[in-house]
Amino acid sequence: MFPTTLGPWLDYTINGLVIGNIYALLAVGLALIFGVSHLINFAHGSVYMVGAYIGWLCVTKLALPLPVTFVAVAAGCGLLGAVIERVGLRPLRNAPRIAPLLATIGLSVVLDQSAQLLFSPDPRALPTQLPTWRIAIGGGSIGALDLLIAGVGIGSAALLYGFLRFTKLGWAVRATALDRDAAQQCGVDVDKVNRTVFAIASALGGVSGLLVGMYYNTIDPNMGFQAGLKGIVAQLIGGVGNVPGAIAGSLLLGLIESYGIALFGTSYRNLFAFVALILILVLRPNGLFARARRLPPEPLTGTFIAPSRPLVLPKWAVWALAAAALALPLVVQQPYLLQTLGNAWLYALLALSLTLVAGTVGQVSLGHAGLLAIGAYASSLLALDAGVPVLLAVPLAGLVAAALGTALVYPSFRLRGHYVSIATLAVGEIVTLVILNWESLTRGPIGVTGIPPLSVAGKPLVSGQWVYWVPLAVLLAFAALQSRLLNSHLGRTLRAIREDDVAARSYGVDLNRYKGLAFAVAGFIAGVGGALMAHFYSYINHETFPAPVSMLALTMVILGGLGNVAGAVLGAAVLVGLPELFRAAAEYRMLIYGVVLLLLIRFRPQGLLGTV
Amino acid sequence: MTDALLRLDRVNSFYGPVQVHFDLSLEVPRGQIVCLLGGNASGKSTTMKIILGLLKPRSGQVVFDGQPLTGLTTPQIVRRGIGSVPESRRLFGTMTVRENVLMGAYTRSDAHTVAEDYDGVLDLFPRLRERHAQQAGTLSGGEQQMVAMARALMGRPRLIVMDEPTMGLSPLHVDRVLEMIQTINRQGVSIFMVEQNASLALQIAHRGYVLQTGRIVLSGPAADLARDPQIRDAYLGGAQAA
Repeated sequence: MFPTTLGPWLDYTINGLVIGNIYALLAVGLALIFGVSHLINFAHGSVYMVGAYIGWLCVTKLALPLPVTFVAVAAGCGLLGAVIERVGLRPLRNAPRIAPLLATIGLSVVLDQSAQLLFSPDPRALPTQLPTWRIAIGGGSIGALDLLIAGVGIGSAALLYGFLRFTKLGWAVRATALDRDAAQQCGVDVDKVNRTVFAIASALGGVSGLLVGMYYNTIDPNMGFQAGLKGIVAQLIGGVGNVPGAIAGSLLLGLIESYGIALFGTSYRNLFAFVALILILVLRPNGLFARARRLPPEPLTGTFIAPSRPLVLPKWAVWALAAAALALPLVVQQPYLLQTLGNAWLYALLALSLTLVAGTVGQVSLGHAGLLAIGAYASSLLALDAGVPVLLAVPLAGLVAAALGTALVYPSFRLRGHYVSIATLAVGEIVTLVILNWESLTRGPIGVTGIPPLSVAGKPLVSGQWVYWVPLAVLLAFAALQSRLLNSHLGRTLRAIREDDVAARSYGVDLNRYKGLAFAVAGFIAGVGGALMAHFYSYINHETFPAPVSMLALTMVILGGLGNVAGAVLGAAVLVGLPELFRAAAEYRMLIYGVVLLLLIRFRPQGLLGTV
Repeated sequence: MTDALLRLDRVNSFYGPVQVHFDLSLEVPRGQIVCLLGGNASGKSTTMKIILGLLKPRSGQVVFDGQPLTGLTTPQIVRRGIGSVPESRRLFGTMTVRENVLMGAYTRSDAHTVAEDYDGVLDLFPRLRERHAQQAGTLSGGEQQMVAMARALMGRPRLIVMDEPTMGLSPLHVDRVLEMIQTINRQGVSIFMVEQNASLALQIAHRGYVLQTGRIVLSGPAADLARDPQIRDAYLGGAQAA
């Protein structure tokens, strides 16, 4: 595993710099966008994927020469960027600061899913027409493609520098980034600047996707998610909004990954990036190259979520609904229907957990599926390997998820707004990667099979009605508990932290303790939910709870109304239950979620029942 | 109606549910320096925002050179010929002095005359010639104020609105800035300035308005206002200043 001669190390260095160049094309665009609009664009990875597919169409279907392909990719993605700015973000200019962030997540889901429907989820080969010679350098070697990637990277950086330094529009971009109002008072049309920046950033991102497709000779509709995250990581290493920093951060990240793979193996690849991300966020939130260690520039001041008057159900109605839900299996007997609704109640546990963290405390977590995974694995392994009875393993798994989840997010407690979202996203990815790599404990990629079902007094609860009743009973219990909690002094304190953490602190609120408490409660609820899922599914692996589940949870919570307990249950029932009942073709489901998220943010940010 | 370059006509404006202006009306006659006086939270700076279109009034209108500005964006209003020197300068800190000043000419496409004007502006502020390649954020407060004024001039405005141009400056620089405002005014540019320091503003202004919690409570020629006992009590330090 450890190369001892110099040659392979040179190869790893070259490889790291090449990958770093690809990240740089992404990170520079993210930095530009953050500069003018104070937004971390989560749709950037999807643009990169679109770039790869435009390139694939040009090369394999139209047989265009490579230079024309590059122009087509840049133009197509540039146009896409301008469209994203126009339809996704400009209408949200005066919306609460969380809205554009969620909009980019929604756009990314829509783009990824559309590509999957158009081109199928299967990977495609993207052959290059480049010559195959390689130049040997001191034991290592460089190929034509390496040189092309380096050339595109350096060329783009030079063009960008010239644009920003010597053109009028470039000056306007810099002026807008420094002081938006003052730029407007100089006559700068800020909308035009935003559109230009999105177009340039997206063109660079698309070219990056094309290059990476050529480099690995494979592209797929989901390639953008990880790449977008890498771009964000690289940008954070360099300092958000800092263009030269983004380039340096990208090269550094490329090298870290390349050397890391050399030392530990390929399956750890993404782990380095996310661990680096957490370290940077915690230790140097302004990036490696910031002069002073200030707090990160906070784009999310003011009300974070849309204020509204929540719909309050009278007590008798709540009891009546709960009783009706419990009685449903006595009337409805189709196992499929009950199973679907049971699944919806399990997801409602996740939504309940997320609405506490994201809604009540205002920490928009994008890695919530990680809690499900921890709970599921903890309970399965306790039952299978430690011989703990399932009935005991489930609450224990809740405790494990509460403890682990809080500990993993703890370093990020001092972050706010967008940074919390990025950190939790990374934590979610880290959980998946640890599950994948810690084979002695988790059985790695094979997954856990033969998970025993939930049973009481030796009688397994696997029949149709129990699949419905058990999740519902647990859900009702937690929902009641959470409602009590929100109406208590604790609930008010948590909301105070959301509204103004500085003010809350000045009133003597220990932020870390309360955030910790909220994450622990949320971790317990989600952990129990994940554990129940494992015992119902009987098989889990590292892909059972992927990142899109976190996005789905967020959509549920926003649909119901952030912070709203009844809303979380409703959101889960609608988003998990309805598509299943209407037999919407499974492949359209994620697309529907993305569109729902976008429409909600635009037209009903307070959700169906209102934020609390 | 007098020959006003700028006129605010019964403007009512709000921040969310909070009303800032109550039927605010005022005029800037052509070629004059008009100052708007008032204490903290009287709505002075919001008046600037209304004129520049950064905040839209709920009712009433802003009329510039006979044309209502209703519905125009800030860049469009700037193109009509209104330059601004924002509160606390608001320079583009990491851009050079030259870039900052030339940003003021963003709306102009005549490169040749822009270069001539740039030279003219540097004649007005010789200090900036020495500092043209320096980052604007590294200048002293007085120098930054010069950059802000130079930037406003580069758009060839007919009216410059200034928000507290003397705030935070040393007494020496305050005098320089007031002189510069008069010089600019003599070149035919009308000035509307918002000031908390009434005695300074009334020294150079032709007319003044006094704003109190969103209402004009007093107006007239600057010389009259400077002698007005109410003003002296409220803004000029009362008997001590007399």
